[in-house]
Order: sequence, then structure tokens, then C-alpha cells
Amino acid sequence: MSQPIPHYVDPRPFDPQAGERLSPELERYYMSSQWRMMWLKLRRHRLAVISGAILAALYAMILIAEILAPYDPNTRHTEFIYAPPQDVRLFHEGRFVGPHVLGWEKSLDMDTLKRVYTPDPAKVEKLRFLCSGDTYRFWGLIEGSFHLVCPAEGGQFFWLGTDRLGRDMLSRMISGARISLTIGVVGVAISFVLGIALGGLAGYYGGWVDATITRAIEIIRSFPKLPLFMALSAALPIWLPPIWVYFGITMIVGLIDWTGLARAVRSKLLALREEDFCTAAVLMGANPRRIIGRHLLPSFMSHLVAVATLNIPEMILAETALSFLGLGLRPPVTSWGVLLTEAQNINAVALYPWLLLPIVPVVVTVLAFNFLGDGLRDAADPYK
Amino acid sequence: MTRSRLATAILLAALALASAGPASAQGVTDSPSLAAEVAAGRLPAVAERLPRAPLVHAPGGDFEPGRHGGELRLIMGRSQDVRMMAVYGYARLVGYDTRFQLQPDILEAVENEDDRVFTLRLRPGHRWSDGHPFTSADFRYWWEDVVGNRQIAPSGPPQTLLADGQPPRVTFPDAHTVRFAWDRPNPYFLPALAAPSPLYIYRPAHYLKQVHQKYADKAKLEDRVKAERMRNWAQLHNRLDNMYRNDNPDLPTLEPWVLQTKPPAERFVFVRNPYFHRIDADGRQLPYIDRVTMAVADAKLIPLKVNAGEADLQARGLAFNNYTFLRQAAKQGAFDVRLWDTAKGAQLALYPNLNAEDPVWRTLNRDPRFRRALSLAINRREINQVVYFGLALEGHNTVLPNSVLHDPALRAARFDLAEANRLLDEIGLKRVSRRGLRQLPDGRPLEITVETAGEDTEQTDVLQLIHDSWLEAGVKLFIKPSQREYFRNRVFAGKSVMTIWSGIENGLLTPGTNPEEFVPVSQQHLHWPKWGQHVETGGRSGEPIDDPAARELMRLNEAWRNAGGEFERFAAWKRILEIHAEQVFTIGLVANVRQPVVVSTRLRNVPQTGIYNWDPGAFFGIYRPDSFWFAEARRTAAAQP
Amino acid sequence: MLAYLARRLLVMIPTLVAISAIVFFIIQLPPGDYLSTMVEELLAQGEKPDGDRIRMLREQFGLDRTPIEQYLHWAGGLLVGDLGWSFEYNLPVSQVVGERLVMSFLLAFAATLFTYIVAFPIGIYSAVRQYSVGDYALTFVGFIGLATPSFLIALVVMHFSNVWFGAPVGGLYDPAYAEQPLSWAKFVSVLGHIWIPIVVIGLSSTAEMIRQLRANLLDELQRPYVVTGRAKGLTEGRLLFRYPLRMALNPFIADIGSILPKLISGSAIVGVVLSLPTNGPMLLRALQSHDMYLAGSFLMIEAVLVVVGMLISDIALALLDPRIRLGAGSEK
Repeated sequence: MSQPIPHYVDPRPFDPQAGERLSPELERYYMSSQWRMMWLKLRRHRLAVISGAILAALYAMILIAEILAPYDPNTRHTEFIYAPPQDVRLFHEGRFVGPHVLGWEKSLDMDTLKRVYTPDPAKVEKLRFLCSGDTYRFWGLIEGSFHLVCPAEGGQFFWLGTDRLGRDMLSRMISGARISLTIGVVGVAISFVLGIALGGLAGYYGGWVDATITRAIEIIRSFPKLPLFMALSAALPIWLPPIWVYFGITMIVGLIDWTGLARAVRSKLLALREEDFCTAAVLMGANPRRIIGRHLLPSFMSHLVAVATLNIPEMILAETALSFLGLGLRPPVTSWGVLLTEAQNINAVALYPWLLLPIVPVVVTVLAFNFLGDGLRDAADPYK
Repeated sequence: MTRSRLATAILLAALALASAGPASAQGVTDSPSLAAEVAAGRLPAVAERLPRAPLVHAPGGDFEPGRHGGELRLIMGRSQDVRMMAVYGYARLVGYDTRFQLQPDILEAVENEDDRVFTLRLRPGHRWSDGHPFTSADFRYWWEDVVGNRQIAPSGPPQTLLADGQPPRVTFPDAHTVRFAWDRPNPYFLPALAAPSPLYIYRPAHYLKQVHQKYADKAKLEDRVKAERMRNWAQLHNRLDNMYRNDNPDLPTLEPWVLQTKPPAERFVFVRNPYFHRIDADGRQLPYIDRVTMAVADAKLIPLKVNAGEADLQARGLAFNNYTFLRQAAKQGAFDVRLWDTAKGAQLALYPNLNAEDPVWRTLNRDPRFRRALSLAINRREINQVVYFGLALEGHNTVLPNSVLHDPALRAARFDLAEANRLLDEIGLKRVSRRGLRQLPDGRPLEITVETAGEDTEQTDVLQLIHDSWLEAGVKLFIKPSQREYFRNRVFAGKSVMTIWSGIENGLLTPGTNPEEFVPVSQQHLHWPKWGQHVETGGRSGEPIDDPAARELMRLNEAWRNAGGEFERFAAWKRILEIHAEQVFTIGLVANVRQPVVVSTRLRNVPQTGIYNWDPGAFFGIYRPDSFWFAEARRTAAAQP
Repeated sequence: MLAYLARRLLVMIPTLVAISAIVFFIIQLPPGDYLSTMVEELLAQGEKPDGDRIRMLREQFGLDRTPIEQYLHWAGGLLVGDLGWSFEYNLPVSQVVGERLVMSFLLAFAATLFTYIVAFPIGIYSAVRQYSVGDYALTFVGFIGLATPSFLIALVVMHFSNVWFGAPVGGLYDPAYAEQPLSWAKFVSVLGHIWIPIVVIGLSSTAEMIRQLRANLLDELQRPYVVTGRAKGLTEGRLLFRYPLRMALNPFIADIGSILPKLISGSAIVGVVLSLPTNGPMLLRALQSHDMYLAGSFLMIEAVLVVVGMLISDIALALLDPRIRLGAGSEK
């Protein structure tokens, strides 16, 4: 009944290890370092990659803030107070003229005490690119007047409108990014150092060191954060130069925030120090510093980076909250928090809504950091 | 002068009374809201509740006699603002009228002999809000058992009652007469009684005696002290006795409305005082409005709540820059926004610290040419246009145009960079380069750090405008934001070089106004804190005044105090103001930044234009909110300004 | 279990003592005291403070004593249940705090409920349809609440709900009910007011919840028992809700303890903007005005609630999850 199955023999010579050999891609994958693995996994997380790109762009922006801003953030145009945003148009009366804005026709409404602006079709103001405008000191050092975009000679370009002194909102937001974007990173850096050092000590030594540090963490965590922020920043001598206030606030933000990281480090270390590779290192005579630094930390560093990324947006928001309470940064320093605080009144909401625009970069940044952090956390998990 | 003026006032009051004679005898009208109480016998009829000679409120002008009823809704930023009812109510022994003249109010008359002997005459039949008679015994209780009690008042009589350090002799000739007598003149006495936060020289004795050691039953008092968790009876007494703070609903009062709600609360309710001493010309007992409610909301929310129509009369919590927002909402017709004048000598002023620690800055700040130059280099027109829509009054920090002491030369402030530069050159502050900064004598650049404790952006905005024009004069301005406590302590210690703060509180000067804001008598003066402290503490701390002009001011202050009459006071004031114009001790910017006042279109008798000021003024107090009333119909006012 | 509880309670004592000292130290950090704040405020309003009265008050409030004395006085009071005296309200702290606790509780409870109702479906959907368009869109919406400063949202929502729907501005009930006890009418008024703060406060914590739920659920969905269940032919719905969701919820139920401290300082900033009669704004105000016994006692109550909350969380977790044995493994 049954037909004999045709017998086939592969003519090629038999390789007994074929099952274990990897394709070059797979080999690269398995042999790659932890960081590379993380990158490979992160790449699949599209939202995280986009977020990362946005953040990279934002941080690149603060490097050349002076050039990107059409005006100096403190230049006042007292003729254009509370001017609404100007639309950038390409066509004028059906004819292509290139990027331009229509100049404002201004009148005073003495009944409501409001400045009324209407676009004047007669004033076609062509934008200039790569041009010379307001002078500035690049990073406070080099004199310059080069801008990416400037208004027409004798014209205005208030793409996002102006504030109560006629200052360009776009320029102020770009300039405020410098403080707002760095405050979180510096704060996280501080809490990172503290968290790793203290959490590391607690986790590695255990015993009374652990008990003391854990108790301290527990006590700090028992406080509501906001009052703690408030009391500490109120204690900060506000008459210090603004830049020192800024550092003081990042210090405070960092000082309060380290406990979460320290706990994470501690619990990881507690688990890892029982692993065989650690015992081996001890037997080979490595001192604790070397063991923590060379063997234990790298094994969960990626996880920490992810956690830290998720902490940055919290700090950016903390800055805005502190500004709201009248603590923290204050004008004439410009940060997103300061700008939002200035917009925190009913006039802005009801009459001059463009003053609320700084909320956009805050939301974008916070979201980007969150998505990137989520992606990093997933990528850092070796079991996925 | 004062005496004759008061005498006229009394005469006028008497005339008004005579014309309303029948009203005060029989034809007084009660609020319908009390009818039930009266009918039930829980309250005497209105004629018996009023003093025999009530105060007839008939100011003339646009005043419309009204009708009883309604509820006035106010919004306050804090629950402690419950004290504002003691300010708005403005029932004082003597009070200012709308022309800022002192008139008897709770008192039927005051006799003043050369500011040394004051005879206060009470209204017979006047009663506290609980119906107990108000007599000279209430003054005696205050003088003997409150001021005279070491436990309640360890420091003795209040400062304003000391003339040359001597307390008055207080006598009580009969139940309706009280006499205060000093050997030296005390011109501060009557204004202190008329202040928005007045010197209360009487107390509801019948109520407070319950907790006074001298009168109360020992055991009962001790129990009560324990029950209320107080340290001793004096603390309990002080806690219940807060006529200004107005936070004890049980404390009898003479104000038009009586607190009903026990703090803490989110909303305070006040009801009419059935024993209030004022009536209108038709014999209606005031206040017209039966109830006042005071909602407590965050200060930032007040414009929004007003916009939603939750207030009938509101100025507190509203600022000039809210006008546009409110005006748009006002078009719906529920309320009307009026712009009232303010009485500050300047909305904002720069205060060069004449007691700065740094010797170079101290010398410079004390040079009148330097202060004048800085003032000349400020473009007040621009500040006015940019920040205040051009509606404010530019000029120095001094007397306002509506005052009898006004002289255009006193306020005039030019913008003249050439003259500013010339003065700075003359002082020897040379420029390094033609357009560059000037240098201090010791070689440092001329960079002035102005410290601000403003909680909104107004002060920094103004400073940024000044920054530009000063730069033209070779002076660089840095802004240093600070918290209020730091701010003042740094000024007191001479650590700050220059500060910005609001100008003098009262620019509507009369010869009788105390010149305290113009002479170095207080540490709170930001331009000469150490001199003020020296005077305040009698030389125990601070620094003696070593500036000839400031010493001259002190001499004039003495002259004012010991003056024999209004004419001499006028002369002293004139000279004080001239010295200020000459010396530019403080650099005023703009004045009369208007105060938006939101008034329900049903509320009558709130003046179209008025002056919103603390002292004298008591905010709405001098306009007598007890004479405001609600009409049936809304009335929209003409657009303004 | 009892021994574990006893040990936990014992450990709480030194913790609370340390916290009380730190609390007192921290609220003393900013310069000045209540009276100097009061003077500054009077000056800013154009009023002139009365020097004699200030001196008298300073003595009366005991502000002339050393900080150590003040601390001992306050801490001693705490031991016997005396929370001290509020300068600003001129009342015992217990009376000031008590009034607002009901509203704070109501609000915290409602906001938490709102968060759960919004976050659960989104979290479950995002986990089941990981990396789908819906996952991205819903997560994004959830995150907007986290990313926007709540004080601004509060103001914007309040203004426009007033303009468009005529919603009342601020507060938790109509002012007319302020001095009345809780009644049906007041409750209805509360319902009309409370949705704005609930939405604003709820939104800010929704994102965190979505993220956690999604992560927890994803972890569970990869477990072998899920595969087994699926192999055995369980429907997807049954499969999801029967086990993995229950496991993923454990952390949240265990988190119930963290609701407690919210009663005191939860969403304080939103409370300020919306003028809510809750404890948060009062605490902020007390800190700002140096009303130190009020602020201190608030913070102490909160610290106690945190510590108790942690304990409750641990117990709840142990009861829920049979894998956890309290007291065991704590050496490691």
C-alpha cells in the first residue's frame, strides 16, 4: 500500500554546529553591548524615537537661541503692546510674494481701554532671512546681530504676538527654554548623584547604614513635596543674583527628588549583591567601591537612565508651580514658568490668549520626556 | 480754626435736624425686615431704638433718598478681611465727609480748645447693637480698666494719646460727656478717631466686664479661660475685644451692620444694626440695606467672580489693568465699572537709600543733584502710556492737585536728558567712553540695583522702562526681585542702595494732615530708615539725622505740632513741600492710577466718581455705604471715561 | 501578623518624632514670622500697623521665645492632642482644620474615583492593543493632563465654563450654603460646582495611572498562565478580566493608603486657583504667612497619614495577594 518515501540526502557536507551558528545579524545582536541592545529595542518604539528627536531639536535650539529668536527677548515695542499674533502668508491678493506679514493698524478704544489691532493690507512686510537684527551677546559672550529671520525694514514680525510691554512672545519663549529645559536636567543630575551614592551605600552595606538611610528616605517621603519646596525656596535668599537663585532651585528640586532613585538603587543592589558574579568579585579581592562601580551599577544603569528621564518633566513642572507661588524664578529672568505665571490672570485668558502659548512648549517637552522615558524603560528591561 | 469749623458743622447738623424735626420725634420709618421682631415684642419700636437726636444724613448733591431692603454682596481675598466692614461701615466718633473735613458722627458734638482740651458729647439715648445704652461709662471702662490695666495694656496708653510724652487727663462729667485734656497740643487726636483703623476710646463695657478680672466672678472667669484654652483672663479679654478686627459676632458694635457669622467661614453675613444712629431726611433709619454678605475667595479670582456678577460693590481685588476685562462684561448691563481717583502721592516711587551702608553710594544718594538727575532722566510720559494707558498723572511723589496745598511747581517733573547728563557731569561721575557707563568716584561702574518686592509685574515693568532712559544718561539699572521681609530688612540695614515701592499714601493734604510721611520719623520710610528709627526709638538705635534739609524737616514737624492755628500749620506744610520739591528725596513716577469700582446697576447713591483711599477715606467709608440702596430697576450709566 | 503590626507601630514613633522636629525646622526656615508677614501685608494694602499692638501680640503668641522653646511647647501640645493656635484665624488649629476636612475628603474621593473611571478603560485598552493607533491616541490624551500645569488648566476651564455654560466661578458650593450644615440642597449645589475641580485634579493623575496599569497588565499578559488559559479555550474577555486584570490591579488597591495624605495637601495649587474650601489652600496660605502652628500641625497630620497609609497599603497588599508574607523576607 504504502509508497516508499523518496529518500533525499543533502549533498553538502554535514556541519554538526549548524544549529548554534548565528546569522551575522543575530550574532551582532547577541554579542552587542547592553547599551546597543537598548538602542536596538528602543528603535522599535516609534513614539519614543520621535520624542527623542523632538528633544534633541529643542536642546539644539537652546544652544543657538539668540539666532533663532527674531528679536531680543527684552526689546520693548511700546507701539505694539498686546499685539495679537501675525499670520505668516505667502500670497498677497492672489499674487505670490514670499513669506510676509501684514502690518498692524492700531487704534485705542478709550471706552474699554483696549488697544485694537487690525491688519493693514497696504503694509505688506516681507520677512528677511539670515539677516541682521537686534544685537545680542551670544551666551553672554560674543557680540552679534545675526538672526535666522527678521522683520522687514521698519516692519514688525510678531508671529506669536506681544506681551504687556510689547515684547515678542516667540523670542521670549525661545529665550525661556534655556532655563526651563536645563533646570530639569541639572536637578535630575543632582538627584542622580545623591540617589546612587546613598542608595548604593544602603544597598551594598546593609545593616545600620541601610537602616539609617532607609529611615531618612522614609522621613523625607512622608512630607508632602509642595510645602517642602515652598519652605526651602522661601528660605532661599531671593536677593541673590538670578543665576544663583536658579541654581538654588535646581539644588532644592534635586535634593527632594533623590529618594525615589535611592530606593530603586537600593533594592536593585540588595538583589544583585547576592548574585554569583558579585561573590566572585569579592573572592578576587575587589574593594566595595570597585564592586559597586564596576560590577553592580552598570548592570542596572540603563534602568536608572529611564527612571531619570521620567523625572525630568516633573522638575520642569515643579519650576512652573514654584513660579506660580511667587517663589522660584521671577522677572526679569525669563523661563517658561515665569511666562506662564505672567499669563496666570484673567486678562490673559479672556483678552490676550496668545500669552498662554508658552504652555505649548511645556506640554511638548513634558510629553516627549515621558514617552522617551517609557521607551527607555521598556528597552532597558532585559527580559523583553 | 478747627474749633469754629466743627462748630459750623454742628450748627449745620442741627439745622438739618430741625428741618427733619418731626421725623426724629415720631415719623421715623423702620426697615420692614424688622417688623416681625418689633411686632413680637422682641425689639422696641424704631423711635425708641434711635438716639434722641439721630444723625440726619442728607448730603445734598446727587443723593437720592432710598428704600429699605436688599442684600449687598462683597468679595474679599481673606477671611481676616472681615475687618473691612468696620472700615466701610465707618461709624466713628468723628469722621471725614466727602470733602475730607472732620464732622461729628457718633458724637453729637466735639468742642476743641486749641487742640489741648477736647470735650466729646454723646447722643443721649444712643445704644449698642444689643440695645444696651452707650454712655460715658463705656469710655471710662476703656480708660480705667483697659488702658489702665497692666495685664491688658502693658505699654500703657497708645502713642497717639501722648502729647510730649504726657498722657491726657480724662474726665467724665456726666453720662453723655467725656473730656480729654493735655497741657501741650495734640493735633493727632481727632484724626486718630476718624481713621479707617481708628483709635477706639470706648468699649462695650457691659459685655467685656463679663471677662474682666475686676468685675467678673473669679471662679466662673477661670472656668471660661480654661474652656476657651486661654493662658489668662487678659488674653481672653483681648480675644473678645477686637472692635477693628471685627471677628467676634457677640461683641456689640455701633457700626451699621453687625457680624453674624462666627469665623472661620467662607462667607460672612452681616445684618442691620437695629440701633444705628443715622436716619435719612425722610426719617428712614439707616442703613437702607438689610444684609451684607462677604464671600471669601482667592484674590486672583475676584475679577472673575465680579465678572460673573457675584458682587454688587467691589473695588478690593480689582486693579487698573482689570478694567478692560470688566468693561467688556459690563456691557451686559448687570454692573457698571467706574474709575475712581486714588490719593497716593505716587503709584510708584524710587527711594534712594540715604542711609546706605556703602560710603560711596551713601554720599552719592545724599547729593540732591544726583537725585534730581535721576529724576530728570525718567520718561514718565512713556511709563504712563505703556503701563497706565496715559490716564495717570505724571510727576513727583507729593501733594495732589485736589489739595489746598497744591502748587503746580511742586509736582512738575521734566524729562530732560541733557540736563540730567549735565548734573551728573557736574557731580564728577565721568563717562569712560562717550556712550558708555559713568564711573563712581572709586572706579566702579555706575550700576544701580533697584530692589523690588512687588508681587505682580507692575514694578518690574516700570523699572525696565526706566532702565532704557537711564542708560542714555550713562546709568545702568539692575532689577533685583525680593520678598517683602527681605526687602524691608535690607533697607533698614542700609544694604540696599535704591528701592521701588508705592509713594506716600495720602496726597490729598490739608493743613491738619499729620506730616509724618514727609519727615524722617519712621523706620518704615525707605529713603531714610535709620534716621526714622533714631527718632522713633528716642535715639536708642538708628543714626542721628545729619543732613541739613532733613533736620529742617524735623524742625518744621515740631512747628506743625505746636502750631497755634491752621494758618501756622499751612505755613509749615508749604515749607515741607517746597523742601521735598527741591531735594527730590524720593523719585515719584506717576500718580492717580485709577481704581476700578464695580457697582451693580441696581445700587444707588454710589458716586459716579470718587476717591478710593485708605486714610482719609476708609475706601467707601466716607461715601456712607449705609446710605446706598437697591432700586427695583437696573440703570445703565453713561460710558466712560 | 500581630507581631509585625506591633513592630511597625513601634518604628513609627521615632520616625514621627524626627518628622516633627524637621517640620518645625523647615517652617522656620523662611525669614520673618507671622507678625512681620502681617505687618508687610498691612503696609502693602496701605494700612498702618500699630506698633504697640504688634509688640503685645508678639508676646501673646509667644513669638518672642526661642525656637527650641516654641518647638517644645508645640510638640508637648501634640502629645496631648493639642494642635496649637492659629495666629491668622485666632482660633485653635483643631477648629480651623476640622471645618474643611469633610470637603477635602469628598473632593479627594471624587477625584480618585474620576481618575479610576477614566484611566481603567484606557489602560486596559492600551495594554491589550499595544502600539495600536488607539493606544497612542488615548495615551496621548491621558498625558495631556499630566503635562499641563494644573493652575493654568484650572483657570481656563473655570473661565470658559462660566462664559459658555454659566457655571459658577470657584468654590465648592453656592456661597449661600456656606454657613449651613450639609443638607440635600447643599449637596446638589456641591454637585454643580465640584465637577470642575474633579476634572482638573483628576486629569493630572490619570496619566500616571494609565501608564502603571498598562505596564502591569502587559507584564501579566506575558505570563504562562495566560497562554495556558488561551490554549484551554477561554474567551479573550474572560481571559483578561478573570486573572491578569486582577493581578494588575493589586498595586492600585494597595495604593489606597496614599489617598489619605491627599486629604491635607492634595492638589493645593488647584485649590488655590479654584478657591476651594479644602485643606490644601489653607496649608499653602499658612506656610506663606508663617502661621506656624497651623502649618506645622497640618504637616504633622499629613505625615501621620502618610505613615499610616503606608501601613494600610502593606496590609491591604498582604490580604489581596497570597504570595506576600508580611514580616518575611524583610531582611533582604
